Amino acid sequence: MQNLIMQMLEGTVTSLQVFFLTLLFSLPLGFVVAKGRMSRNFLLRGIVNLYIQIMRGTPLILQLIFVYFAPYYVVGVSYDRFTAVIVAFVLNYSAYFAEIYRSGLQSIEKGQYEASKVLGFSKTHTFFYIVLPQVIKRILPSLGNEVVTLVKDTALAQTIGVSELFRVAQNAASRMFSTMPIFVAGVFYFVMNYIVSKLFDFFEKKLSYYR
Amino acid sequence: MGNLMIKAENISKSFGTLEVLHDISFSLERGNVLSIIGPSGSGKSTLLRIITQLEKADGGSLEIKGEYLFKDGVYSKTEVQKRIGLFTGLVFQSFNLFPHFSVLRNITEAQRAVLKRSKEEAEEKAYALLKRMSLADKAKSYPCELSGGQMQRVSIARALALDPEILFFDEPTSALDPELTREILNVIRSLAEEKMTMVVVTHEMNFAKGISDHAIFMEGGYIVEEGDPISLFEHPQNRRTQEFVKSFE
Ligand SMILES: Nc1ncnc2c1ncn2[C@@H]1O[C@H](COP(=O)(O)OP(=O)(O)OP(=O)(O)O)[C@@H](O)[C@H]1O
Ligand SMILES: [Mg+2]
Repeated sequence: MQNLIMQMLEGTVTSLQVFFLTLLFSLPLGFVVAKGRMSRNFLLRGIVNLYIQIMRGTPLILQLIFVYFAPYYVVGVSYDRFTAVIVAFVLNYSAYFAEIYRSGLQSIEKGQYEASKVLGFSKTHTFFYIVLPQVIKRILPSLGNEVVTLVKDTALAQTIGVSELFRVAQNAASRMFSTMPIFVAGVFYFVMNYIVSKLFDFFEKKLSYYR
Repeated sequence: MGNLMIKAENISKSFGTLEVLHDISFSLERGNVLSIIGPSGSGKSTLLRIITQLEKADGGSLEIKGEYLFKDGVYSKTEVQKRIGLFTGLVFQSFNLFPHFSVLRNITEAQRAVLKRSKEEAEEKAYALLKRMSLADKAKSYPCELSGGQMQRVSIARALALDPEILFFDEPTSALDPELTREILNVIRSLAEEKMTMVVVTHEMNFAKGISDHAIFMEGGYIVEEGDPISLFEHPQNRRTQEFVKSFE
């Protein structure tokens, strides 16, 4: 039993690595994608839009397989499975975050930009001090949803053989002829997401001092 | 004529194929108040937005304090535009306060970020302005905790904090009920008494008649009639002006 918990903790570490690395890259990258999506250049806008549609319109599991195997079939090189997981997750989550950022950015009233302009703020000042704080407040709930989904999505990493929490649990289950490890894994995911939700609740409360 | 604050000559502006301003010319001297009236869609806001640089004119010339913002439709260098921007302040119909900043910070932010004043100096100025707006006790509040009239007074304080030389008001009371309207009109009136140079777009005819030195009636992007307020409001010559003024009685 103790042994099982140790193995599952190791699997959890892998899951958490996928989780944090995905956030680390896709949170900022999503912003770049959102900018492209809102670009005035229709070609750029079109390409970015297509990318977002593909990411949202196909299963993440398929994207994982594609990202891992496509380079092998096309140019004959294979690479680290874990890296492939991160690449696929970052590509996928950047698209989702981009749409969240875009809706947030577009929800800021024109008057906020006009007041900033009339008061003489630079574009950077307007963005970082006037627009961004309001965007963050507005997108926090949808961002929270997406992050909770990411915790659960890390289980897909096993598709290309990365042994994260769920794979460890499945292996243990077949070894022990028992579904118990699967339930234990369920508790693990639940606890992680409980923490995530509490964290988002905390930030939402912190930002609830206005409107 | 060192006292000429605004000199507009033949300003024109179109949105696509819609001509919104045609050959708008007028001037305004230091310490004077100009009121602009006219029906919806006549181009009043667009004119204010061109002078305050929220919109670009297509043609004509505009001199502010002897410097061209644009001449024959060609805009001056960015530095000049910025410098002229510091002379002008604008108060919006919908206030456009920054909801995530306290009242105090709404008034200090631009002083600090744009004029590079120290925190102490900016706050001192803000408190003085709040006191004058009878809002001294609201410094720590957030805009969402204020009434419309209070929000508009904060936004006037926010504009005044940068010591503009010309203050523009675009229907400052249209979003307010009559009682709060009076509140705001009193503030503008006291600024007029202090000889603040102002341009006021308003539907408050009596108020406009009372405070302005000059009045303009616009329709369809043209200045249809202009003159001293008594003659414009009481004895308009043009039939359209007559009808418009009458509709407010
Ligand atoms: N950004 C824009 N794009 C296209 N048309 C515009 C734009 N801004 C204003 N217009 C049009 O220009 C005309 C003049 O608008 P403007 O807002 O200057 O009128 P106004 O006199 O301020 O009216 P109101 O009393 O309703 O505020 C209107 O027909 C309006 O629809
Ligand atoms: Mg208007």
